[in-house]
Amino acid sequence: MFKFLINPSRFNKLIDIIFRPLVIITSITLVVSLVLIYFSPLDYQQGLTVKIMYIHVPSAWLSLLTYGVMTFYSIVGLAFKIPFSFIINKAIAPIGAVFTLLCLISGSMWGKPMWGTWWVWDARLTSVAILFIIYLIIIFLNQIFDSREVREKTIAIFILIGSINLPIIKFSVDWWNTLHQPASVSKLSSPSIDISMLQPLLVMTLSFSLIGLIIAILRIKAEILIRKIN
Amino acid sequence: MLFINKIFIFFKRELKLFYTNIVDLLTNILFFFLSIFIFIFALGTGDKLLETIGVGIIWSLLLLSSTLSIRKFYEEDFKNGTLIVVHMGGISYELMAFLKIVSHFLFVQIPFLITIPVASMFFNLPMNEVYVLFLTFVIGSLILSCLGSISASMNLLNSTNFSIGSIIVLLFSIPVIIFSVGIKNSDVDFFSMINLLLGISLVFLGISPWSSAACIRLALRNK
Repeated sequence: MFKFLINPSRFNKLIDIIFRPLVIITSITLVVSLVLIYFSPLDYQQGLTVKIMYIHVPSAWLSLLTYGVMTFYSIVGLAFKIPFSFIINKAIAPIGAVFTLLCLISGSMWGKPMWGTWWVWDARLTSVAILFIIYLIIIFLNQIFDSREVREKTIAIFILIGSINLPIIKFSVDWWNTLHQPASVSKLSSPSIDISMLQPLLVMTLSFSLIGLIIAILRIKAEILIRKIN
Repeated sequence: MLFINKIFIFFKRELKLFYTNIVDLLTNILFFFLSIFIFIFALGTGDKLLETIGVGIIWSLLLLSSTLSIRKFYEEDFKNGTLIVVHMGGISYELMAFLKIVSHFLFVQIPFLITIPVASMFFNLPMNEVYVLFLTFVIGSLILSCLGSISASMNLLNSTNFSIGSIIVLLFSIPVIIFSVGIKNSDVDFFSMINLLLGISLVFLGISPWSSAACIRLALRNK
């Protein structure tokens, strides 16, 4: 059932069926989430700037999720020698980098009116900046090696070593005293965010991940075609 | 031959190589002192200022000058075939990487310790900070050796871009810098920071032989 995750031809067959409906669903979700955000209530302290959060939080989650997927596929690729996982690693690294950059930029645009500064050397912000640098190094590593096998395995090893950063990002708000607010949605107890703000946030997260998925599918398809030519 | 004898011979060879190439170490030390001078000239010679930023500057310059020495970690052994000969002698690439890390730590990083008292004299550091600097450098340089092993083995794989290895070392040495300079700056308990640093060094000591052995295998296959 899950063969399409590791087999390029199965993947292509599945994509031919689901790609068109996926685009339609994505556009509907995007419109719905934008409308929901437009009618969502203002914060009593932050005012209008609270709406930056609907861009900031989904892109932060997705930057972590993308790295997690890359870590998973590196383990699979190194352990079971499945070449398709390296294709995915190469295809989704720029997507994760863009999400991280979006998270950093929207965060600093929120930070200027709220904290009074564009950038603070705080644990959460610094670790996300390091995640962005790791993504950039992965993209550079994709360019410099001559042999394909060497390149794929080196990048997989590098991704595995760099995944130490993921738990640091997640728990940095709990381990250190940071200016960044602690987790309010993904807590074990009930979330401390209000339901009227949680709904647009979750729909926006869904539409962001669908957009990321569509770009990833296009890139993976192009990469498979390039491999077939060579 | 006994297994322990093989390891002993490996270390003996490393020691001999170190003494024949001692100019390399002296060049690194010279680089370290020159960059300290440049820093002091750039900042001005206010005593109070130098005292507050001294530990941070010494640590970052130690880091930069240790990235100079990692270029030679595997490259010569790779070119003249020593890696294959040692492997045929019954030492696996993982163990070889581990021995290389230990010998780099003993023969390159430990002699670097003599620079620390002189450098801290330039910055007018108080004596208790010099002790802390010593202790953190002994632990942190082991981590730097591990990182050097990783990036040097990655440099074997490509013949065009050498700076990417140094960038990887700089990237992963961020926790080392945070915890070793943080001992001086934060109010947290001294031993908890030392324990964290020891923990990081154990993690890298576990990871780096494995990953550099994988890179060496790939490089030998594509030679």
